Amino acid sequence: MHFPTRSVLSGVLTAALLAAGTAACTYRNAPAPATGQASTAGRTGDGADLADGSGTKVALVPGGAHPYFQPWKTAGAAAKKTYGLGDVTFDETAEWDQQKQNNLLSTLAARGYNAFGVFGVSPTDINTTFADLKSQGFPVASLGSCPAGDTDEADFCLSTDVELAAYKAAKAAIEAMGGKGTLVHLTGNNVDANTQLRIKGVARAVKESGGKVKLLQTVTDIDTDLQTAQKAVSDLMAAKGGQITGIVATAYNPAVAAADAVKSSGSKAKVIAIDDDAKILSGIRQGTVTATVVQNPTGQAEIGTWALALLQTKQCTMRDPGVKVDSGSFVVTKANVADYDKARQEKTKQLKTEFADKYLSCG
Amino acid sequence: MTTSVSPPETVPEEKAAAHRMPFWVNQRLGLLVLVIALSILFGVLRPAFLDQRLVLFPLLRDVATLTVVALAQMVALSVGHMNLAVGRMAAFGAMFAGLGYDKLHLPMQAGLLLCLAAGAAIGAVTGWLIARTGVSSFVVTLAMDFALLGLVSLMYSALTEDAAFTTRPAGIDALRSYSLADICAGPICGSPAVPQLAQFTVLAMLGLGFLYGGTRIGRELLLTGANPAAAELSGIPTGRRVLLAHTLSGLLAALAGFMAAAGTGTFRASIGDDFMLPSFLGAVLGGTLLTGGVVSVLGTLLGTALVGVIRKGLDLLGVGLESLNIYLGCILLLALSADRIRTVVSYRKVVRST
Repeated sequence: MHFPTRSVLSGVLTAALLAAGTAACTYRNAPAPATGQASTAGRTGDGADLADGSGTKVALVPGGAHPYFQPWKTAGAAAKKTYGLGDVTFDETAEWDQQKQNNLLSTLAARGYNAFGVFGVSPTDINTTFADLKSQGFPVASLGSCPAGDTDEADFCLSTDVELAAYKAAKAAIEAMGGKGTLVHLTGNNVDANTQLRIKGVARAVKESGGKVKLLQTVTDIDTDLQTAQKAVSDLMAAKGGQITGIVATAYNPAVAAADAVKSSGSKAKVIAIDDDAKILSGIRQGTVTATVVQNPTGQAEIGTWALALLQTKQCTMRDPGVKVDSGSFVVTKANVADYDKARQEKTKQLKTEFADKYLSCG
Repeated sequence: MTTSVSPPETVPEEKAAAHRMPFWVNQRLGLLVLVIALSILFGVLRPAFLDQRLVLFPLLRDVATLTVVALAQMVALSVGHMNLAVGRMAAFGAMFAGLGYDKLHLPMQAGLLLCLAAGAAIGAVTGWLIARTGVSSFVVTLAMDFALLGLVSLMYSALTEDAAFTTRPAGIDALRSYSLADICAGPICGSPAVPQLAQFTVLAMLGLGFLYGGTRIGRELLLTGANPAAAELSGIPTGRRVLLAHTLSGLLAALAGFMAAAGTGTFRASIGDDFMLPSFLGAVLGGTLLTGGVVSVLGTLLGTALVGVIRKGLDLLGVGLESLNIYLGCILLLALSADRIRTVVSYRKVVRST
């Protein structure tokens, strides 16, 4: 084949045109950046009772449809009733695409929603979205997941500390394994900042065992749906089932799949799951799942909505804008499977007090 | 602007028929009317639809990016091929831009050039493989999609902590958030609804419009798509035209990847994940033939805009996830049927009148 001179020429021409386009314009001065919340200390405690939330319309926006977020819907509706808010909507149409989520948020703003609780699709991009919303004067909470890195452009982040939850799960697994053996970690999308944190959490627990526990494999990218997870887990059990003495699953679908696989294959591996799906809870009752680490999505939505309403009505400001608050994670075993929800409700109450006393400045 | 071309030497009958057809049969005009009618309908149902800052600006930014994605597919379709790796090529190109900004501290324009070069290179490799081996573009681009999926994930895992390049060069934030209202000629400023990111789309459309409408190479690309054997016999170097089409497709995909990254904030592996369906949708709705030989640059923009307007309108109406895609599918089906009905009715009129 000859060297395609004309092809190359037209390509170079297009590229040059495009590059020139970025430099060819003159800009007016950029608009002033987002107004920072003054962190003046004011009266707290009693001031955190919402006076009038009828003008507040809160939108709770997860990254897409996922069973984890279902409690947001009921908790949001309950918060609307309790605090007399104008409206609370739950919109899961972002379809796990950051661009679609950004569009959805601006559409919701156009529909009159004026406070946002968001689970960002991409933890590395979501700060940009938060900054956009803040610059338009809306209070924003990062719920269920914090932005990657050290900065948080939202007013606050109320989320499970994913690294800590993964660490707790791995610790529980190691304990169930008798402090030694071979562990497998099943998790979600590898190119996601939260997955990287989970991997770090599990690695920390394994390292603390002083070499007695070996991390055989970290299987990623199997949280897309239950079928993918089931296939990956059954392949894993077929290939290395004999060696595995512990499985820690830090994502929803792999957890359900691992519980199923261990039950059907009769493996002796100890399974530590995540979340409180009915299958996992019944596994705990029957003994096929050793423990599960449950999170607190209800608390995230309830406290998030309440705090957003206080910020939207200007009744309160954040003392330390961008603060990261752990919404709690709890290890559930056969011993406490019946009443773990009480501990979770306690944590939610405690979160409310913490917000009123520590994080919010009202008056 | 001339954007749609049917090579006169290949389809003379069609061209003659087109002369006799009434003007309202034109597919692009139909799309334009539909886009405007739907915008008015949504605007009446929800006046917020016409909010320039909160609705039209993000809508147009989305349409601008997806139009470039659809153009990338259109170029491959023009030679009768398809590019199933369009999303991964976008991720591949964007990765190089991110790498340039993060590790080499390049200025924005240099990073963009690196991104385009990477996209063009991977497109050229794909085109070369297809031309050289004669294997179907479906198979080659599918294989390329898998190869790039692995490669891009691997590179991000190896080079970054959070699976994304988060360094932002000077100017990229402006590119994301500035509209024409920020560009002024004296006291007159542009509309706040039109994003500056759209400049890339306009340039790409002008470039492709000129290529297909005004150059011999463009006509040769279309002829290669319409009938490769006839093209080969007419002395057209079809192998090189296939190579060119895929190179351009890769370049445009990479440009779309850059635009998506600039639009959301960082350069990450998941860029382009959802590009494949919109790429076909925009191009085919706009009148580009899946079998090759006929393209429509303006139609691609209108096809993409139609999908964007419907989605935005349904979002504003507060349609839930369960119903959103059903409505979207139904409206698109109606749009395509309306087009077909228009053609049939006009054909009957023409037959009756002759």
